[in-house]
Amino acid sequence: MSSDVRFTDFKSDKQPTWCPGCGDFGTMNGMMKALAETGNDPDNTFVVAGIGCSGKIGTYMHSYALHGVHGRALPVGTGVKMARPDIEVMVAGGDGDGYSIGAGHFVHAVRRNVDMTYVVMDNRIYGLTKGQASPTSRSDFETSTTPEGPKQPPVNPLALALASGASFIAQSFASDALRHQEIVQQAIEHDGFGFVNVFSPCVTFNDVDTYDYFRDNLVDLDEEGHDPSDYEAAKKVILDSDKEYQGVMYQDDQSVPYHEQHGVTEDMSDIPDGAPEDAMDLVREFY
Amino acid sequence: MAEDFNWAIGGEAGDGIDSTGKIFAQALSRAGRHVFTSKDFASRIRGGYTAYKIRTAVDSVDSVVDRLDVLVALTQRTIDENLDELHEGSAIIYDGERSWEAEIPEEMTAVDVPLNSLAEEAGGSIMRNVVALGAACAIANFDVEYLDEALEKRFGGKGSKIVENNKEAARLGEEYVEENYDLDHLGYDLETTDEDYVLLNGNEALGMGALAAGCRFYAGYPITPATSIMEYLTGRIEQYGGHVVQAEDELSAINMALGGARAGARSMTATSGAGIDLMTETFGLVATSETPLVIVDVQRSGPSTGMPTKQEQGDLNMALYGGHGEVPRFVVAPTTIDECFWKAIEAFNLAEKYQTPVFLISDLAMSVTEQTFPPETFDMDAVEIDRGKLVDQDEVDEWLDEQGRFRAHADTDDGVSPRAIPGTIDGAHMSTGLEHDELGRRTEDQDERVQQVDKRYRKVETARNEEDWAYREFGNPDADDLVISWGSNEGALVEALEYLEDDGIDVRVISVPYIFPRPDLSEEIEAAEDVIVVECNATGQFADLLEHDTLTRVKRINKYTGVRFKADELAEEITEQLSAEVPA
Repeated sequence: MSSDVRFTDFKSDKQPTWCPGCGDFGTMNGMMKALAETGNDPDNTFVVAGIGCSGKIGTYMHSYALHGVHGRALPVGTGVKMARPDIEVMVAGGDGDGYSIGAGHFVHAVRRNVDMTYVVMDNRIYGLTKGQASPTSRSDFETSTTPEGPKQPPVNPLALALASGASFIAQSFASDALRHQEIVQQAIEHDGFGFVNVFSPCVTFNDVDTYDYFRDNLVDLDEEGHDPSDYEAAKKVILDSDKEYQGVMYQDDQSVPYHEQHGVTEDMSDIPDGAPEDAMDLVREFY
Repeated sequence: MAEDFNWAIGGEAGDGIDSTGKIFAQALSRAGRHVFTSKDFASRIRGGYTAYKIRTAVDSVDSVVDRLDVLVALTQRTIDENLDELHEGSAIIYDGERSWEAEIPEEMTAVDVPLNSLAEEAGGSIMRNVVALGAACAIANFDVEYLDEALEKRFGGKGSKIVENNKEAARLGEEYVEENYDLDHLGYDLETTDEDYVLLNGNEALGMGALAAGCRFYAGYPITPATSIMEYLTGRIEQYGGHVVQAEDELSAINMALGGARAGARSMTATSGAGIDLMTETFGLVATSETPLVIVDVQRSGPSTGMPTKQEQGDLNMALYGGHGEVPRFVVAPTTIDECFWKAIEAFNLAEKYQTPVFLISDLAMSVTEQTFPPETFDMDAVEIDRGKLVDQDEVDEWLDEQGRFRAHADTDDGVSPRAIPGTIDGAHMSTGLEHDELGRRTEDQDERVQQVDKRYRKVETARNEEDWAYREFGNPDADDLVISWGSNEGALVEALEYLEDDGIDVRVISVPYIFPRPDLSEEIEAAEDVIVVECNATGQFADLLEHDTLTRVKRINKYTGVRFKADELAEEITEQLSAEVPA
């Protein structure tokens, strides 16, 4: 791949089967543009996805990619990054994939601070299984499995990340293309776990958290003069359930990624033709 | 007097039983004696009976026996638990000054040593077990100096003062026995040789094999009895630029290892019992994405939480059939501790050559048992690495379609596709657990589905023909009766042959290290009069397979008490089965 990579190089020739108007189109375009803009190319990029509408992303992008099992994309991404610190790792998930079945992995990937970018396409509904409540659905949101609403508060993924010791927390809106791209770009450039929750409306099953709703209600943190390095300010914004924000909420500029903390620098794919030269030392240890 | 010597130390978990036993085992090994150890332990940190047993001889020893010659008893329960293994010539070392009153059968020799007081004299009561080791040396006519090196190895990190105090403690124990008892009548005299041996357990051998094979990435979650593999790799894998991650659960562990493998690193995960159940979700993904991955299951007693610190070979069906849908995989089961090393290396080669999950199934008895070997048993120069069809920059072009897309799942004669790892220019591709085409992209096309399923199973057929799925053979190859075993029963079975021979019974023994693919035993089974399959489970999972393969009924010896087979016990069972009716 040449050095002048265009974002279309990250596109595969498969036509997405997402519903027309789905927020995931914009989310993915922003991811591809951000990857190209940060100097990556498909041959040094690894995209991991789980199950659900978000899980299809690896098919529509062109790069090294794995489409895994439900909720476990983050561990796969962690393995790729540890084995190959030289590879750019991007993990895509959905609100069900990431905050329900994969919630445990989310907490631990955040606290490990593995140097990868985690983009969650949050549409506040289960789309691919045709409209059930998700962990981020509003408590009064009526769905096929919650006819009177889930009657439980939605998960606040940003707060979950903050509580887990995240070094980068951001939120974007699929339809605000430029801002979304900028924010993902910042997540890629962050040394550590770059977490972006993306409002990615489901036009088929969610008639509450719509494009119009986000357009009318979204507050941009840049316009508010928010300082992402201010932990207390970040906490305030993240815990504010009255407003929907976009922008980088928090970034720890002292962040040291997991592999650096653990002294992992080598490309682990390269091994000798036989046992390591001094391998008999491993045996002698048992004298 | 038997030429092998059996020693044990027992007490409560937390009494330092394990490290004391290990010191004695190492001392015997340094003295050029062979050692085979076994452990009784309970699933708790402190309290509860626990014991470390050593069988030692000048010749190689591969199993445990029902006999104890010298027992260091830190509690009465230690004596009670081992009564049936003690005999008239047994000596029991105990501390008469401790609060419990030892009840020792009259015919045995009670050796009362003030372990605590002597330890305090040497510098601290914490060394009372070492005093007992010195006392044991005196009883066995084994030079206490052999303990020194082992004590240096164990306590060297804590400073020379501690080492010297421990050496002193051992000598005080030895002197006390020599001055207060005349035990020559017991007749023990441990011969030494100039041989140099290494002493290691199955999990250590397996971990060492993984490192020799170039394993660079390991992810796991602590679980008995697999954890010591992770502990072994931690601190050593870094020397080779590798890393161990302690994952949040087994689901994460196997997916991390999968990620490492897809990135091109030789990767492994290990677990046991419930852990393997959790990993099962990902088996199919490993197979359909054609990722080379080594998955270790150190079996323990199930089902559910079962008996976590006890022996069983109950996961064979899980290894063969675990996972929804049909999942091509290899299942390799080492039969001895040194084979844990070689089979680990083979597992990595198979995984990469065939881009398939390889299950390496060991068991608790093998994982915690230590055994001596000449160091050349683990000849690192003989280690061969085969990375299969890993394509580099120059070869990748051959595998591009007209549009320049890499055919990661290309249909080939042998079923094995080229493998491009990240960073290989023009090798970028998608892999998925969804059924896919040659490019790795989702398909529900009937022809493509069949093509990919056939391709994945063709790899197994290729391997079946190209690899050597040999069995190991013992006893008389021309004997009428055949005994078959898999996994760690081999040692006891081989020794059982001696007992059988004494009774004039001649059998052929086949020990099978491969579960799938496995050697075709049709001819051997056909030629035999009686066929008996030995395994540590209740239902005879391997026996079922053999019956299925050969359409012949076999007899079965099953043990599921949580304790491994012993040689004499096996000999008895085999004798009994030989005269029994073949099941209808």
